Amino acid sequence: MFSRPTTDQVILDCRNELLNAVDAAVTDPTVKITIQMLENVLRNVAERAAHEIAWMHEETDLMIGFATEVEVALGKSDELTAALSAYYAGRSDSLHLDDVSKTYGFAGECFSVSMEKVFAASHTALHLRSREILAIRLDHENKIMGEWAFVGRG
Amino acid sequence: MQDVAAMPELLGAFLSKESGQTATVTGYEAMTGGYSRLMARAEVRWQDGTTETLVLRGDPPPGKAMMETDRDTEWALLSALGQAQSIPMPKARYYDSTGSQLGTKAIVLDFVAGQSLQAHLNECSPETGYGRHTFDLVDTMAAVHRINPDDVGSSIQRPTDWSTYLGGLIDRFRQADRNHAESNPFLRYVAEWLDANRPPPLPLRLVHSDFQPANIMVGTDGSHQVIDWELTHIGDPREDLGYYMIYSSASGPNLIVPDPEAFLARYREKTGFGEDTINMATLGYFSSLAAITVYGQVLAGAGAMARGQNSGIMTTYTLNALTVGHNNFLAGCIPPTL
Repeated sequence: MFSRPTTDQVILDCRNELLNAVDAAVTDPTVKITIQMLENVLRNVAERAAHEIAWMHEETDLMIGFATEVEVALGKSDELTAALSAYYAGRSDSLHLDDVSKTYGFAGECFSVSMEKVFAASHTALHLRSREILAIRLDHENKIMGEWAFVGRG
Repeated sequence: MQDVAAMPELLGAFLSKESGQTATVTGYEAMTGGYSRLMARAEVRWQDGTTETLVLRGDPPPGKAMMETDRDTEWALLSALGQAQSIPMPKARYYDSTGSQLGTKAIVLDFVAGQSLQAHLNECSPETGYGRHTFDLVDTMAAVHRINPDDVGSSIQRPTDWSTYLGGLIDRFRQADRNHAESNPFLRYVAEWLDANRPPPLPLRLVHSDFQPANIMVGTDGSHQVIDWELTHIGDPREDLGYYMIYSSASGPNLIVPDPEAFLARYREKTGFGEDTINMATLGYFSSLAAITVYGQVLAGAGAMARGQNSGIMTTYTLNALTVGHNNFLAGCIPPTL
């Protein structure tokens, strides 16, 4: 396969074509709004294509690290043991997007169950650590979102 | 409903049958601005020579809706509110409850001349302020919350008590996570935080659930008519305050931010609620909590797409609303201090 231009470059090129060639030829206001939405979606997916596998890997490590930390600090529980077992049974080292996404999902469940244990124990330090991990996840989402507002409303 | 060539004849036949006098549709066009439902505007000439403009509000084709709501419920609610004259709103006139006549289940409403409040706000300059619009918005929100829940009869469910209701609302975060195509730790975090930090109760009232300036039509005299009641339910009125706060932060201007205390004081004055229940802390709490109604619908659409059961630009475009929600969730859930 060829890798350059990269996927995000190809998508952004399609976006430019949409804005410069297609939009200029359209007068229907409902279609123009659809074009604005498509422009936004194309920017989102270009950013995802460029980074999502790396970001999911990074977050998976953080979430599993946190779950392990919670298990050590607060003790084992049936829920957390089940979530971690599902993660280790279902995780994959494959870099295909669907496999990375599945592994990420298993890790997310471990993280969620861990946070519930932290709340039940009112453990402030672990609570604050969970917020740091959520902030990293949110930072990735914000990079994907970029500039965004509801178009066509009003 | 989207077939502008076929709709004049179909709509004319429908209106004639429903009203008992011949209706001719002389103009028909799709309307922009609505996200969840198909909208159209029709010019109608009646047999007696009178003319008027009507609005159609119908379901998108199966698998194309960014959120699923029930037209039967909306029609029953609109009819009840109209009959009780609870609040100024466009009258709901006719309903194709099966979709057999208009191509999809659709409600026909009076057209409101004028612009939405959002359009008025867009014409204002932040430097010079928003004039009467801020308090007009508060007053309209308070008017919704002053509606007697008995006005809507049995058209929508009535919770048994505030505490159970709030618990159910919080649990919707966990349900949304359970039903989604992948784990979403934001939802589980927020649910735990909200449960651990419950505010004092308020009487249960009508909650619009999508209270924002695009859903308020402004008449030439400045009066307001509230539209788009599809998510309305009986709940905690602070849901609308919180929802407006987060919605307008994402799609401004936010009329609370310039002077939050004055905004809340006006709301207390118009509703009779006290400062113990309406304050900056409860505004923050409900900013996190209230988002779940619309957020849950958007997430359900995303989940359906992930499972191959839904498609369309509205679903992909509004994925970003989930990120907006996550930002607001974290901002509203104040972390503890060591």
